Amino acid sequence: MLLVSYDFVAFLFLLLVVYYLIPRRFQWICLLAASYLFYGWGGAFYLLYPVFTTMSTWFLAARIGRLTQQSREKSLPRQQVKKSQRRLLILGLVVNFGILAALKYFNFVVDNVNELLGAAGVLREFSHVNWLFPLGISYYTFQAMGYLIDVYYRKYEPERSLPKLALFVSFFPQMVTGPMTRFDQMRQELFTPHCYDFTNIKQGFRRILWGYFKKLVVADRLGPAILMIVSCPETYDGIYVLLGMVGYAIWMYADFAGGMDIVLGAARLFGIRLPENFEQPFFSKSLAEFWRRWHITLMTWLREYVFFPMAGSRLSRRLAKLMGRKAPVYIASVTVWLIAGIWHGASWNFVAWGMANCLVMLISQELTGLYRSFHQKFRFSNGKGYGYFQIMRTFMLFCCLEMFEYYPFEGVFKMLGSFLSSGSVRQLWDGRFGTLGFCLADLVVLAGGILLIFLADIFQRTGKLGEKLDRQPGVLQYTVVFGLFILVLITGVYGHGYDASQFIYNQF
Amino acid sequence: MILKKIFRLLFPLSLSVGILFLAQRLLMPKYMGQVVEGAFIEEYYNEETSHDILFLGDCEVYENISPIVLWRDYGITSYIRGSAQQLVPQSYYLLEDTLKFETPKAVVFNVSAMQQYEQENETYNRMTLDGMRWSGSKVKAIKETMTEEEHMIEYVFPILRFHSRWRELENDDLRYLFKRRQVTHNGYYMRADVRPAGEFPVARRRSDYSFDPKAWEYLEKIRMLCEEHGTLLILMKAPSLYPVWYDQWEQQIKDYAKEHQLEYINCIERSDEIGIDFSKDTYDGGLHMNVYGAEKMSRYFGEFLVGISGVEDRRTIAGEDVQNRVWKEKCEFYDQMKAAQEAEFARLGYLKQFTSEEEGGNLYEKTR
Repeated sequence: MLLVSYDFVAFLFLLLVVYYLIPRRFQWICLLAASYLFYGWGGAFYLLYPVFTTMSTWFLAARIGRLTQQSREKSLPRQQVKKSQRRLLILGLVVNFGILAALKYFNFVVDNVNELLGAAGVLREFSHVNWLFPLGISYYTFQAMGYLIDVYYRKYEPERSLPKLALFVSFFPQMVTGPMTRFDQMRQELFTPHCYDFTNIKQGFRRILWGYFKKLVVADRLGPAILMIVSCPETYDGIYVLLGMVGYAIWMYADFAGGMDIVLGAARLFGIRLPENFEQPFFSKSLAEFWRRWHITLMTWLREYVFFPMAGSRLSRRLAKLMGRKAPVYIASVTVWLIAGIWHGASWNFVAWGMANCLVMLISQELTGLYRSFHQKFRFSNGKGYGYFQIMRTFMLFCCLEMFEYYPFEGVFKMLGSFLSSGSVRQLWDGRFGTLGFCLADLVVLAGGILLIFLADIFQRTGKLGEKLDRQPGVLQYTVVFGLFILVLITGVYGHGYDASQFIYNQF
Repeated sequence: MILKKIFRLLFPLSLSVGILFLAQRLLMPKYMGQVVEGAFIEEYYNEETSHDILFLGDCEVYENISPIVLWRDYGITSYIRGSAQQLVPQSYYLLEDTLKFETPKAVVFNVSAMQQYEQENETYNRMTLDGMRWSGSKVKAIKETMTEEEHMIEYVFPILRFHSRWRELENDDLRYLFKRRQVTHNGYYMRADVRPAGEFPVARRRSDYSFDPKAWEYLEKIRMLCEEHGTLLILMKAPSLYPVWYDQWEQQIKDYAKEHQLEYINCIERSDEIGIDFSKDTYDGGLHMNVYGAEKMSRYFGEFLVGISGVEDRRTIAGEDVQNRVWKEKCEFYDQMKAAQEAEFARLGYLKQFTSEEEGGNLYEKTR
């Protein structure tokens, strides 16, 4: 079921009624049933994947837990327990990440093998396999594996109830687009009964509406034009490279953050609070800060389950002795960004994008001392103006790095060169802009929509916008919500003639 | 205190509903410009008197039969419930809908729709279905004929379908926000311009000439419904030169009519008898009749109807004052529009309203 569909709106409404009518102790069961209905809407077959992930994770976590118990009771030697647990963990990781890799990367590997074989003069070509690709498989696999790793490291006890773990893995609002959560973080939220609270309904509905605004009014209006620009670099060069870069960043943000607002709002309707995935990333003053504020839960997952274990491992300590103090951090950083890159898509573009991000951040880290002395020497660098410069610099840096996602590696430099050497504002009137499919009304709505998102993010910096609005008189609150509803209803890009597009991040 | 609370709750709620209603009215197409077909179906509900004959079908009915001529020449009261590319199921549900208001003596169904069992373009669905009043018939008609991309909710709240029209709003959208002008004459779409019939593409052979089972199913339903209500069903094929009406199709209809003892009249075969001159009586090169062709066709068909359906001449029945008054007004409107169109065509060589986006409707204004 798409989050942008009439089905979803009707589903949400009906579920809400049922959820608050049934005895509270059954609420989580109701959510589990609804989650499977949501996921299996396009075909029950798709349910096989999350069901398998849930069952294998539950079984292995339970085994690991039992071994821990036995180790505590001293019925088994500690070393043997640790070894068995590690085997179980590796089995779980290999099987589940193996499914993910097979579904997502098999054809990518085939392409590369074929290319290598071709280059070696071997005529043999392997063919693609068209898997039925379940939506959001990366999200629930990462989440389930996070749980398994946590149980392995004894951060908390394994969940005894299989259905409860199933709900954690497949809670419908977050299943296809995140945010990724930890079991200990969600246990209380998912399984504690929730009383009907109008504030939750109000805030949830408002958040959903704001998400639809970002997605339908801004992202889906901007998306087709940006896709056209970035997919035809031979036509759209010069100033259009800049337009594509900035537009792509705004499109991604409106689409992903919009989806996240819908997810968080939908969960809120049921009294469930999910962690935020964005914290006004475009106001970051450095790339490292940016990645702490964009797709927060993925970066947290990678930090907790990849970076820290790698950087702090025994092997890393040995490497540090051999190659220097910073070697483990560098290797862990490269691995994290390699995973982050490949997680975004099965293509070398994403690998290049991940590596480019990593490179910029490692260089920044190396230059920390230089920056510090610069700031001490030049007072102006502590002022507001310099802060704005840093924000702009980070935004443009992000935009530039995003180019690795949509242009081939060598194309990035060529297109940047095209912008720097021949980019001129006058090119906007040379007829090419007219081919992007915008009419004046669209441009006005788009500009207004972007401005509104920008203003909301500014307000959000000094506290939660929703809470601020809650303190206003009821008439004003209602007017804002109704105005937003009308805006989405009328100026949203949806309905007939519009291909209900997925959120960009659904395909991950 | 309680009253105050209720007011505080109800006032913003009703204000919001009001705003949404207004927005929906504003954004829905008015069909008052170049394309008027979407306004046909709704006009039926303004009728003050009942009808003896009901015509059902697509453009071959609403452009080829003039109920005004049937009244003037034979005293037959009739109405055409037809819209562009109206499918057989839609005709069936329109019949079901009509039978809630009146029981005509005869129903004339134009069989050309049998060749098309599903809509290629949802626009045609909207033209037919949006005009229907809400009832079980409308719900069934929507369910049965909507295309894969359509949703029932978009019919319940048309703003969901037409919201993107905010970019193309025109004066007409404000002008006809609450009241539209009448565009048909008892469902008849008048065109007084002339474009002689030309060459048509050669009829292509088809691998299969059988009509779709769904079309048959609904034709059968129409027949049964007529039978239930004691209404005579007459099948007709209008005298349109194109699209091609294949002999194989003709045979299937003939067989069906014979099997159920129905009257079937193929007017293509009788176009000489009717007196149709395809160099003068069509406005679009032979696809549809103009007012002159439709009047000839109606005179011929009226005689046929009188012969087989036993309809009375309502003009001569005593105590039909309301009917006479209503039809007198209809005739005046008809004559006025015909004269206006004729004058415009003589002056310009075309009718402004139908050849450009220009508004020419004020020439034949009559607000419903």
